[in-house]
Amino acid sequence: MLDKVILERVLEEALKKGGDFAEIYIEEKQSSNVFCEDNRIEKVNSGREKGAGIRVVKDGRTAYVYTSDLSEEGLMKAAAVVRHASANGKETHAIELSPKQPTFTISCKRLPESVSFDEKIEQVLAANKRARDVSDEIRQVTVAAGDLHKKVTIANSEGELAEDERTRIRVIVSTVAARDGIIQTGYESAGGVCGWELLEEIAFEDMAEKAARLAVNMLSARPAPAGRMPVVMSSQAGGTMVHEACGHGLEADLVQKGLSVYKDKIGEKVAADGVSVIDDATLDGKYGTFSFDDEGNYGQRTVLINDGILEQYMYDRLTAVKDGRDSTGNGRRESYQDKPIPRMSNTFIASGRDDPETIIKSTPSGLLVKKMGGGQVNTTNGDFVFDVQEAYMVEDGEVTYPVRGATLTGNGPRVLNSIDMVGKDLGFSIGVCGKDGQGVPVADAQPTIRIKELTVGGTAPASGPAKRRIRRV
Amino acid sequence: MEDFLRNTGEKALEWARKRGVEAEAFLLQGRELSIEVIDGQVETFKEAEEAGLGLRVINQGRLGFVFTSDLSDQAVKQVVDDAISISRYTEADPHNCIPQGKYDYPVLEVYDPDIPAVSLEAKIELAREVERVARSSDARISIIERAGYEDSEFTNVIMNTNGIYASGRGNFCGIYVFLVAEEDGDAQNGFSVMMRKKYKDLDSGFTGREAADNALRALHARNISSAHLPCVMEPYVATRFLSLLAQMADAGMVQKGKSLFAGKLEQAVAAPVVNLVDDATWAGGIGTFPFDGEGVLSRRNTIIKDGILTGYLYDCYSASKAGVAPSGNGHRGSFRSLPSVGTSNFILQSGSLGPQELYADIEKGLYITEVMGMHTANPISGDFSVGAAGIMIEKGKLTYPVRGATIAGNLGEFFLDIEALGNDLRFFGGKAAPSIRLKSLSIAGE
Repeated sequence: MLDKVILERVLEEALKKGGDFAEIYIEEKQSSNVFCEDNRIEKVNSGREKGAGIRVVKDGRTAYVYTSDLSEEGLMKAAAVVRHASANGKETHAIELSPKQPTFTISCKRLPESVSFDEKIEQVLAANKRARDVSDEIRQVTVAAGDLHKKVTIANSEGELAEDERTRIRVIVSTVAARDGIIQTGYESAGGVCGWELLEEIAFEDMAEKAARLAVNMLSARPAPAGRMPVVMSSQAGGTMVHEACGHGLEADLVQKGLSVYKDKIGEKVAADGVSVIDDATLDGKYGTFSFDDEGNYGQRTVLINDGILEQYMYDRLTAVKDGRDSTGNGRRESYQDKPIPRMSNTFIASGRDDPETIIKSTPSGLLVKKMGGGQVNTTNGDFVFDVQEAYMVEDGEVTYPVRGATLTGNGPRVLNSIDMVGKDLGFSIGVCGKDGQGVPVADAQPTIRIKELTVGGTAPASGPAKRRIRRV
Repeated sequence: MEDFLRNTGEKALEWARKRGVEAEAFLLQGRELSIEVIDGQVETFKEAEEAGLGLRVINQGRLGFVFTSDLSDQAVKQVVDDAISISRYTEADPHNCIPQGKYDYPVLEVYDPDIPAVSLEAKIELAREVERVARSSDARISIIERAGYEDSEFTNVIMNTNGIYASGRGNFCGIYVFLVAEEDGDAQNGFSVMMRKKYKDLDSGFTGREAADNALRALHARNISSAHLPCVMEPYVATRFLSLLAQMADAGMVQKGKSLFAGKLEQAVAAPVVNLVDDATWAGGIGTFPFDGEGVLSRRNTIIKDGILTGYLYDCYSASKAGVAPSGNGHRGSFRSLPSVGTSNFILQSGSLGPQELYADIEKGLYITEVMGMHTANPISGDFSVGAAGIMIEKGKLTYPVRGATIAGNLGEFFLDIEALGNDLRFFGGKAAPSIRLKSLSIAGE
């Protein structure tokens, strides 16, 4: 780490012409990736990068400068540029930094750099083989394993100095299966803020088999019906829905700009009874876990919606100041090249009381969603669309046949209000969430839930007499 | 800056030669400026610089890649050593290669001296002007989410042990505004983005008004019932579908069996009215540059001619595998990654009809102005099912706005179903399309 005295000098330089707040964020990272496709190790990469971002906030406005030059001279130069941009007052401010201790530690038993490429490659090849062994109909398997080790130093004009070391692991398997000109895909991923001991907890090869079976099974799927119907979302589907339909609208920057349906709704009923939504950066080893956010605030557990009532938004420092309150520790950034903004960590609908099996059994007809794909939401009006990777029809409480090509279209607030059953299970999924051009790792989760009615987009009309297989070219 | 990058690259290659491997150094130095305004005040000002090296080695057919942002002599030497040691782990492949050719790079106009010369104050004023125009265009414009100006400049050097040396400097600039219109409890988003190679071509009035118009026309949108309807898509929506087509035309994807276009060369993959090119030499294009990310000479490639698939997009690896010359589509997003197939200026060529003529004879249809969740469409199976919003077409006229619909189908059919193209070709970044008319789409509504 850079000398504390240098950091103090840089912050003082940044505030020389006035400003309410100055901060320096320094990052050094190492990453490596192993990539297997076409039955062979195609790429192995590694890289090192370091850089610093300096910001000055004055009257809620931000000037941000970043540089990859971490010498004292380079940082002072960057501080002078940021000062120039925010200039118009005269203040001097002596800064004395004192280190901040994390409230909990994240364990990493096997550091990324301590695990050889040989070992990672062996695991990747084994996963590839297991996926290919599933069926002759598997045409392509892609397996990737990546790790990241990042050291972060954050210092600000309030005298806070936070140092953090983060390691992250992610493995993915994607498969392609084909039969009679029909192509279907499968995908599985796992990851965490942890070391390579992750591979002892998850079964990478089983994951690969699952991804392969999904692609093959979906070859026999019928086109999804289109229309409005009850939807049961299995906990295995992960929390894409809560992340998209609810989470983004609870980020304070969107709320303050008037871009959220949840604006001015604190204390009001925004979801059905029994529905609670929580953002928790302190969950052990999850993909969105952190002990400090990217502004040096403690990662924490924040209850956003409690039994249907909106309790709180997610704040970073800037939006918290605007609302005259403390940050919830949700200020995150992709790298030193970006200013922090309010972001989710691990977000989930809390488990309820219903038995997942009973939820399906009590559904006369509808769609059972087992695996979600990506999604997108318009936070201003709450409209969303999700891709469904694995879904089945439910008829008379029984799961009948698989369907493909379905999407779920709806409105976040309306969906949260129409959840009528909440399971006692909880399933996680991981992802990289994009906002304002910045990607950050997140996890999301939900129990098995039933939504009274949702628009399912597909290629077969729901009311049509026969399920039509679409013509292929 | 070019001298510094070249010297650094030479050191890397010299060390690689000594260690007996083929190598390529990709060096990039970039600078960016962004200004975001709210209520006429600069809310975020950002100035940034970065530089780095991406080094690729081919060690007896085995590939290694390492990047670094540390360009010191010691770090550069370490990068070469690391790349060689990594190459042990990858499988030898005779198609791993770096360009051989001696290219005579064309002189293209890719650097506008006005962009660095214009004062910061003038750029801030331009961003303010976009916001002002948008806000004042209608009383129902209630929120300006963000408005801004951005420019970016880069110098890159590509050199390899086969003697390739390519260097160039480019820049571009842009303005944007994202906003919300509100009326009687309904809120709708609108945005407009303009990216240009020349500062003087930025039009704040157009951008501000377009964003406002886009939000206003969506107010009081209704849900519609499910149906199969003829559709007309605005150029912006058409370019979103072009992005999927770009993945399908990627030779790397084709060779791995991950594209619907695999095995379709010389076959009809689109309606006869469809002509598609990728042209890295297009005057004024954001993707225009004398060479690609591997130093291969830029050119114009025809992908679809009169509906027939005539070629794929190739980088050096996929070209070697297919036994053809690389098409100049070795794309590089930054120094942090290996080149892969990408587009330059990807252009669906325009037709002859005015946008209104495209729907003049439609009894009932949907004019699509927005799609959501396009990244969920599957370029391998071709299945797509995405959210859509737009305006109802009734008796040849645009009537009421529509939201919350889902359009679904298969991309294979989609491109064959294009009946007509407008004369309103427009670029969105490096992709350009006119309005397009489709025979029929499955629309799920209420």
